[in-house]
Amino acid sequence: MSVREIIAAMLLGVGVFIELLCAVGVLVMRNPFDRLHYLAPATSLGPLAVAAAVLVAESDAQAKIKSVLVAVVLLATGPILTHATARAAWARLQAHPDTGETDQREES
Amino acid sequence: MNIWLLATGVLLLALLPCAIVIFRAATLDRLVALELAGTITTLLILTLAQELGRPSICDLALALALLSLPGTLVYAYFLERWL
Repeated sequence: MSVREIIAAMLLGVGVFIELLCAVGVLVMRNPFDRLHYLAPATSLGPLAVAAAVLVAESDAQAKIKSVLVAVVLLATGPILTHATARAAWARLQAHPDTGETDQREES
Repeated sequence: MNIWLLATGVLLLALLPCAIVIFRAATLDRLVALELAGTITTLLILTLAQELGRPSICDLALALALLSLPGTLVYAYFLERWL
């Protein structure tokens, strides 16, 4: 293995490990606001690490450009999605504060 | 063993907690897990494109990353107003 491949493998490992950790975090937490915290590293650090791994390992320009573009798009849209979801959760909590949570409601 | 194939397998494994949350948790928790699943699937397609050696598959990852934004926003808007 060349130095390039080792660096790429390390970056890829870091990115994939971050994604796995975030998935486990979303599984473990108990309400939407806590779960939303785990979206931040999953949409910023993970894609950046994977895109960097592609940049280091690949020689094809098309793959490089597109993976960087994917990371940039995820980086830009992640905060928007988090904000919209937290706003929806907060609105549901305000509408039905008696339940204490934003869940277990089947009525219209 | 190819590192890209290994990364694809681990990312598939990371989809499992998202599936458990989507099947078992409350409504807004499901939306959060869906967003995370979209991100993980985007990276999965990216690593799969490297593993297969076909850069044109990266287009799929880009399309998914761009389309998961309005998809989730529509869900959030709907859950905020009517449910």
